[in-house]
Amino acid sequence: MAVFQAALLNELEKLYKKKKVLVAILLSLAVIVIGQLVIVGVRSGFGLRGTGSVEFPMLVLSVVVNTILPLFTALVAIDSFSGEFTQNSMRITLTRPVSRFKIYTAKITAIVLFILGALLLLLVFSLLAGFIFNTNSATLDSLSRTVFSYFVSLLPLTVLALAIALLANIFKSGIAVFFVSILTFLALKVLGVLFSQYSSLFLTTQLDWYNLFLVNSFPMLKILRQFLIMLGSGIMLFTAGFYIFDKKEF
Amino acid sequence: MEKVIEIMNLTKSYGNGRGIYDLNLDIYKGDIFGFLGPNGAGKTTAMKIMTGLIRPEQGDVRILGHSVTEEYEKAMAKVGCLIEIAESYHYLSAFDNLRQLARYYPGVDHKRIDEVLELTGMLKFKHEKSKKFSLGMKQRLGLAAAVLSRPQVVILDEPLNGLDVEGMIDIRKMIQHLAEKEQTTFFISSHLIHDVELTCNRIGVIYNGKILNVENTQTILKNYATLENYFVSEVERNGRVSSSAS
Repeated sequence: MAVFQAALLNELEKLYKKKKVLVAILLSLAVIVIGQLVIVGVRSGFGLRGTGSVEFPMLVLSVVVNTILPLFTALVAIDSFSGEFTQNSMRITLTRPVSRFKIYTAKITAIVLFILGALLLLLVFSLLAGFIFNTNSATLDSLSRTVFSYFVSLLPLTVLALAIALLANIFKSGIAVFFVSILTFLALKVLGVLFSQYSSLFLTTQLDWYNLFLVNSFPMLKILRQFLIMLGSGIMLFTAGFYIFDKKEF
Repeated sequence: MEKVIEIMNLTKSYGNGRGIYDLNLDIYKGDIFGFLGPNGAGKTTAMKIMTGLIRPEQGDVRILGHSVTEEYEKAMAKVGCLIEIAESYHYLSAFDNLRQLARYYPGVDHKRIDEVLELTGMLKFKHEKSKKFSLGMKQRLGLAAAVLSRPQVVILDEPLNGLDVEGMIDIRKMIQHLAEKEQTTFFISSHLIHDVELTCNRIGVIYNGKILNVENTQTILKNYATLENYFVSEVERNGRVSSSAS
């Protein structure tokens, strides 16, 4: 366990020391500021209400979960694998007394913690912006649902990170991984519309699964089904990615 | 004598016909073993298998009694290595680079990091990011990383790459000092045959993926004027002379 902790700490330090984290924070804040400006503009320009204080974070989530969060996930996952493959810096870790399984798991965990950090940052700042600028419509119930929605979004984003990590272990070039990821993402979006009866199987649809928790009737079976689909695909993606990583020659 | 590294029937072939075939080699405690061979003879392949970067098709390597393929963490616990080019995270300082590695070894603290930076002449660049380093400086940092954990076994592939004369002398002294004082065992490959002659006390020659001979440096120098003469004669005797000799 101490070895895994060391590997995880190293991965987190590498993430933190790169400028990418800073860019991610700034972009997240930019989304909130721009979003809030649009809302204020709509309200004063057209006299429409826009959103209430707790609705604003949900609006932010619905936008970022399909845009900048998958993008950040891709950037960080590609950098963590392809970046180190091409610069040969993977050897630095690989020749230390730590198994490849622990290295792979530490990398994935660091990416997941990064996504969690981004979600928390967006949650806190969008809540703050919502309370400051918008009409107060907060109830404890709606607030807890909002917080819950942000947390459950971590699961599909983790599956996405595992998928990108798998691609990063298949393709050599980081740019190739990035393009394949974006094309697959778009293709799944289109397929989700064309074959809506199967769309619950697609990762792109699962990104919106937090909506299930907002329904008053609380569709327990549907939530369980979605959870198991994500869990299953996550396990498969992790296994496939690790298998290739373990066989890789450096 | 205590066996520190055992290479047993090691085989790994590549599509281009190169590789290593049925390699057997024992390295004993306190050896400074020089691994000589022409380009493409299989030196780096053997060293990459020894450090777990690639897997053998057959055979195994045991370091301090632990199999590299089966008990990697145990096998590498007391090993320091530098394979091919000294890599570092270019966005981290020399100190941060070593601190990353130090986390894997319980006994390595900040004082030890300063010690190895001093030992390799890098202390004055401690807080500089490694992207600004010259090839020689990166190599020194790589060597600092290799000896950071006070390893019992050090595997170095072309450790003198990019070093100036002063650097080469420093590193040679460091290797001899560690072998003498701390009984560290070294496994070194180098194309700088003169340096191998001065540093190593046992020499193994590899050619076309096979070990030709293993001999003490002293014995070699009794029979041959220089190590270079021995190397050329070994290679000639066992096959065709490499293109470098023509």
